[in-house]
Amino acid sequence: MNQIDLDWLWLLPALPLAGSLVCGILHYLTIRARLPQPAAHGAHGAHEADGAHGHAPMDAHGDAHADPHAHHDDHGHAAAPAGLSALAPWIAVAAMAGAFALAVKAWLGLRGETHALESSAWQWIDTGSFAIDLSMVVDRLSSVMTLVITGVGLLIHVYAAGYMRGDKHYAKFFAYLNLFVFAMLMLVLSSNLIGLFVGWEGVGLCSYFLIGFWYEKGWPAEAGQKAFIMNRIGDACFLIGSFLLVRLFGTLDLSDIVGAVSGVLADPERAHTLLLAGLFLFGGACGKSAQLPLFTWLPDAMAGPTPVSALIHAATMVTAGIYLTVRLNPIYAAHPELMFLIGLVGAVTALIAGSTALVQRDIKRVLAYSTVSQLGYMFIGLGTGAWAAAIFHLVTHAFFKALLFLGAGSVIHGMHHEQDMHKMGGLRRHMPRTFVTFVCGAAALSGLPLLSGFFSKDEILAHTFAQASVGHDPRYYVLWGLGIATAAMTAFYTWRMVALTFFGKERFDAAHAHVHESPAVMTLPLMVLAVLSIAGGVLGLPHVFGVQHLLAEWLEPVTRSGDALIAARGEHHLSAQVDWLLLGLGSVLAIGFAVLGFRAYRAGTARDERIATRSPGLQRFLGGAWGIDEAYYACIVGPIRTLFFLTSVVADQLIIDGAVNGTAAVARTCADRVRRMTSGSIATYGLWMGASVALIAWLFLRGGGS
Amino acid sequence: MANALFYLMAALSVVAAVGVVLLRNPIANVLSLLFSFFCLATIYLLAGFQFLAAAQILVYAGAIMVLFLFVIMLLNLASLPALEDTGLALFARGRSGVTVVVAAALLCLGLAAVVGSPATAAQTLADMPPDGIDAIKGTPGLTEGMAGEMFGRYLLPFEAVSMLLLATAVAVVVLAKRNRPGLEVRAGRDAGSDVS
Amino acid sequence: MTVPSAHLFILAAILFSIGAAGFFLRRNVIVVLMCIELMLNAANLTFLAASRMHSLDVPGGRLDLQGPIFAIFVIVVAAVEAAVGLALVIALYRRKQTVSLDDVVELKD
Repeated sequence: MNQIDLDWLWLLPALPLAGSLVCGILHYLTIRARLPQPAAHGAHGAHEADGAHGHAPMDAHGDAHADPHAHHDDHGHAAAPAGLSALAPWIAVAAMAGAFALAVKAWLGLRGETHALESSAWQWIDTGSFAIDLSMVVDRLSSVMTLVITGVGLLIHVYAAGYMRGDKHYAKFFAYLNLFVFAMLMLVLSSNLIGLFVGWEGVGLCSYFLIGFWYEKGWPAEAGQKAFIMNRIGDACFLIGSFLLVRLFGTLDLSDIVGAVSGVLADPERAHTLLLAGLFLFGGACGKSAQLPLFTWLPDAMAGPTPVSALIHAATMVTAGIYLTVRLNPIYAAHPELMFLIGLVGAVTALIAGSTALVQRDIKRVLAYSTVSQLGYMFIGLGTGAWAAAIFHLVTHAFFKALLFLGAGSVIHGMHHEQDMHKMGGLRRHMPRTFVTFVCGAAALSGLPLLSGFFSKDEILAHTFAQASVGHDPRYYVLWGLGIATAAMTAFYTWRMVALTFFGKERFDAAHAHVHESPAVMTLPLMVLAVLSIAGGVLGLPHVFGVQHLLAEWLEPVTRSGDALIAARGEHHLSAQVDWLLLGLGSVLAIGFAVLGFRAYRAGTARDERIATRSPGLQRFLGGAWGIDEAYYACIVGPIRTLFFLTSVVADQLIIDGAVNGTAAVARTCADRVRRMTSGSIATYGLWMGASVALIAWLFLRGGGS
Repeated sequence: MANALFYLMAALSVVAAVGVVLLRNPIANVLSLLFSFFCLATIYLLAGFQFLAAAQILVYAGAIMVLFLFVIMLLNLASLPALEDTGLALFARGRSGVTVVVAAALLCLGLAAVVGSPATAAQTLADMPPDGIDAIKGTPGLTEGMAGEMFGRYLLPFEAVSMLLLATAVAVVVLAKRNRPGLEVRAGRDAGSDVS
Repeated sequence: MTVPSAHLFILAAILFSIGAAGFFLRRNVIVVLMCIELMLNAANLTFLAASRMHSLDVPGGRLDLQGPIFAIFVIVVAAVEAAVGLALVIALYRRKQTVSLDDVVELKD
């Protein structure tokens, strides 16, 4: 693999880090300036589900709407701090733009023969036999990830500048966002597993910060905790996996590991250790990418602001698991059982999440479950060895899911914090730009033909089918079937969402609600993402179209070793006819169910109400992700709470404190009793003396009377 | 016959002792104790300790008990209302259970000491003269022997005890003296009854 | 008298316990003092019985004089104690007009 040493690569993550620091300083200055003033609006309860409107002195993008509902935010601060915190989005966006430019530059530098660009290392740990550097490598895979992160991230930052305007902690938000991007970049750019883990943990931490950004409301803080704890479980698996890798290879350098895998396979014991390592690393990926059983944090994470959901829980953080797996693809390619397991987990998760999205009323929760479902698709792809297809779906998903989230945010913004679709309807007349872009995203998600989502999804399903039929592994039919079913559900719930939100009668009081379109600072990113969602398919057109699969070609150096291991087990390429057949099947399915979903809900929420009354049990079951969350509460959280009660109340208060206090009480009681001996009654004294004499005499007699 | 007398005297002394504890009138108590002392003196005599018997009568019965009587009559206690339940009603008091237990313990311990000691002369020795120790040959008589010991080996305790008697005499006078106004240490009214 | 010395000891024990019981139970100070005298007498009897025992337990016998001498001292001390105790009773009566032990609780906490 050719490498070129760079000395500017460190700038790529450093820019967002610097942006984060500056925004943090701005936030601190803002808070400090706010303190001595009489706090007219001390209560934070004004912030509701998704941000507040507000006036700001800097309105650089010409939002002409006066806002009569300005009672929600803090007008208590003086002009100077408001000016300071209004600088924050500029700085953050500038940092992101710089990072994006560097990412493009790196991408340009990787064409041709160059496969990797390396930056100078910084030695972190050196114990002689084991050394860890923090060095950065951008290769073909990292460049794709970096472009997605910085590009989509840039758009989301711009959007957030408008969305979060007027928030009390404006600058803090951007500080966190930039910090997150920094951590994510560290994750994808690191050349060894330790640096990757630093980024891994960093994104988990920033996710916690950002989910709980409005912690004053209470439940966002709990959601952040839940996300962090579930991630932690995954992190523990990650660590165990990396310990096993160290034991096997003696190094944590990613390229070294990838190169050394084939050498290990001959020895069955070491191969078994490799299997375990892969399994544990996959466990870590499940935690970060919200697969079974660690996915219930993602819907709750919707408590955070919508740009957070778009950036972290659609486009970037949740893709870290897929990135890890593709990066270490030889480990997985070597063990077909492990691959099937990965695919199965992904497929089951996709099904559960997809079915749950069918009955959600909150627009963001539909999208959250949809994200879990699509991540499941990516894991199905990984399970069949379709590394490039999974990355392809990752990229297209980043486009359209971010678009959908931002569009939902625009809807929520326009509806003044209303998130329940049952209270929406007919919004296409009020929010035309949002409507159009949202429809583009919905079309891509549901897999309507020739859009980006169609190609990526279909490619994964084709690979699955190929593995099942040509590869003579009938288990994969199960995966394929689950994938098809999920695709149908995806189309259905996507267009259900569109119909309920934008079509039909208005189920809110239009006269008083004052619904309006969002400002340009928010709609421009939507439009860019819409274009990408539609046209993004060119990255991975199928072979039968007669053109190159651009992304697979680009990623070939990375997937080479894994592909070789799989190819050694037998070729499985579909014939052209089957390929066209599957493409057609996918199109029909998507269009058909999209129409079904749209028509069922075009008129309104009647169907939902029918389901609620006729089969409430089903509604509850599906609505709660098949009861998994409740099961967790009953089986895990409940016993832990009991244990907490046992240790804190029983063991600590009752037993330990009781022992200590009890000793004191006993001493006091004894002292009380003994004190009464000094009664002054001579007869009592005499009695005691007599008893003592008897005792002494007895002892004397027993002792032999010497 | 001496044995029978001993047992009789023993029984009487026990009865008298019980009477000391149970009788109501303090004078009755004193007389009962007096009687007990007489019985004990007889027992001393029977056991061959003539000097002690005489000392018992002279000092205990003749001096100490007389002193008790003097004090009782001085304080006119007999005419006071009954201070307490006496007789068997004594045992109805709160502490009486423990008291009985302790007293019984003391009794048992004493008996155990007797029973357990191998050196106890449980039986009279075969060659012991029927008159007891008086006829032990080669020994001085009791009084003679005691005088020899007292002014010989036990001279120091003897002198100490005499000092003690002197001190006691002084102490009693001081303690029982009626307080003159100048000598009053604590505040408080003097005794009502004039008992000089 | 050929009574075994053990019986003398037993008698002494009985007298002592009776005196002890009276000492614990009675409230009248003077009677308490009398019970003390009783106990002292029991002790005297014990000494004499022990002397008799030691005199007799060797063939031919040798008079043991320690017992009676100690008994003399006990009598003297008993006299002393009775005198002082009664003087205290008089002083007590002068102060409190009572001879009941229950009323003398100045040692109370």
